[in-house]
Amino acid sequence: MTSLRRVYLDHSATTPVDRRVVEAMLPFLTEKFGNASSVHFYGQEARAAVDRARREVATLMGARPNEIILLSGGTEANNLAIRGLAEASETHGRHIITSEIEHSSVRGICDALEKKGWEITRLPVYDDGIVRLDDVREALRPETVLITVMLANNEIGTIQPIEEIGALIHEERARGNRHLRFHTDAVQAAGRIPLDVEKLGCDLLSLSAHKLYAPKGTGALFVGRGVRLTAQTVGGHQERERRAGTESVAGIVAFGAAARLAHEELDERIAQVRQVRDYFEAGVARRVSDIVFNGNRERRLPHLSNISFRFIEGEGLLINLDLQGVAVSTGSACSSGSLEPSPVIRALGRNDELARGSIRFSFGKDNTKEEVDYVLEALPRAVDNLRRLSPLYQKALAERACATIEI
Amino acid sequence: MSYSANFKDHLVNPRNVGELPDSDVVAEETNPVCGDRLRLSLRVRDGRIEAARFLAYGCAPTLACGSVLAEMLEGMLIADASRLTKQEITSKLAPLPARKQHAAALAIETLRAALDAIITNNH
Repeated sequence: MTSLRRVYLDHSATTPVDRRVVEAMLPFLTEKFGNASSVHFYGQEARAAVDRARREVATLMGARPNEIILLSGGTEANNLAIRGLAEASETHGRHIITSEIEHSSVRGICDALEKKGWEITRLPVYDDGIVRLDDVREALRPETVLITVMLANNEIGTIQPIEEIGALIHEERARGNRHLRFHTDAVQAAGRIPLDVEKLGCDLLSLSAHKLYAPKGTGALFVGRGVRLTAQTVGGHQERERRAGTESVAGIVAFGAAARLAHEELDERIAQVRQVRDYFEAGVARRVSDIVFNGNRERRLPHLSNISFRFIEGEGLLINLDLQGVAVSTGSACSSGSLEPSPVIRALGRNDELARGSIRFSFGKDNTKEEVDYVLEALPRAVDNLRRLSPLYQKALAERACATIEI
Repeated sequence: MSYSANFKDHLVNPRNVGELPDSDVVAEETNPVCGDRLRLSLRVRDGRIEAARFLAYGCAPTLACGSVLAEMLEGMLIADASRLTKQEITSKLAPLPARKQHAAALAIETLRAALDAIITNNH
């Protein structure tokens, strides 16, 4: 019996750990097991490794090592950035600007702050999935203390005008709103497009290791100079009192190695995933009818493709593909257990049918065209399988037949 | 979210798909909350469901429940069909997550609508 062929196209959910990263971290699980806060040899060995990793993570985004807080992942980074900033700046104002298509962690934090009396403005993204600078300008108030807009969306990959928002904030500060800060969630963007905190003009930036071919459980928050945050985890002196808790040394070492590799290999990885993604999209457009590509097709991450398949629902398609060995996702991985159609696709102004029929294909550095060829066989089969039993599709077919006869 | 092998089998190899050209009754119901839809067509002879076909749109459990229902109905007496419960459908797909049980409710509602139409037609 031959085993089922498997193709992983869900790299926006998580990536496999690079073998070179595994090799870098292994000694820190065995002989180099020290606690980085200990004074003895073992502790200092761990401390040196954490410091090196911090430099590597900083380099990936053009930051200084002392501007990096190491923590457990993107969600914690977003919590520390937004809640930490909100609590520290409460006396200056209680208004936050965000977008309609943030990751569920940012949405959840903003919703929680709103319940506590904060005012939240959620910027629209229009049919291309991109925030407009004019809307940011209009939403600004004297009491605005934070703008949090993601660098690139996790579901459709659209790249937001972060540099432009950064420049706008710079002007606002010069005009007197000294307390205004800017956070961007760069979890999806890191390792997929160049990152430079100076150029972006942000004060806070979140990163997650497991989207970069490192293990789950580690992340980072860039905190620019002069930005005050209230720690969300207290009871230890780690990370200069801003994030208490023993450092996950092996995870941090892996994160550092993965960040270094992502930095060194970035151009190569971008060219590779873009080529495979574009090859895939051209193939789907040729082989499957009644599809809609979601989000701006120019300003987006090179590894991601989001497609709505009309007349069918994403979950059924996902399971059909899974049974053919192809792993993809529908909606945001965090909300796919609920009955709500994807809020990101809804924010584009698409109807419920298109929002429910959206699938995210996210490619990785090791995917090949040959794998895509397999997916291009499996996908039309899965779509046909579901459309065959869709009353919406049967109705559309009947209407089209009538239209043809009338002609 | 994990589904049983039976569930996946119904999803990938759905039974009794389509619409009967010579049906005696067609019923279509929609779940107003999530927009899921189930269409059922039946051919009835001498108090027995001779043939049953379904079409479905919506989350995977709605499709699977449609398939289970249409398969169960074929050959069943109308009197027995009217006593079918949600549990009898979900038991064929067990374990079905609690928050997906509504799919079986839509299946039973559509069946009831079809059976009501048969009774009305007979009168």
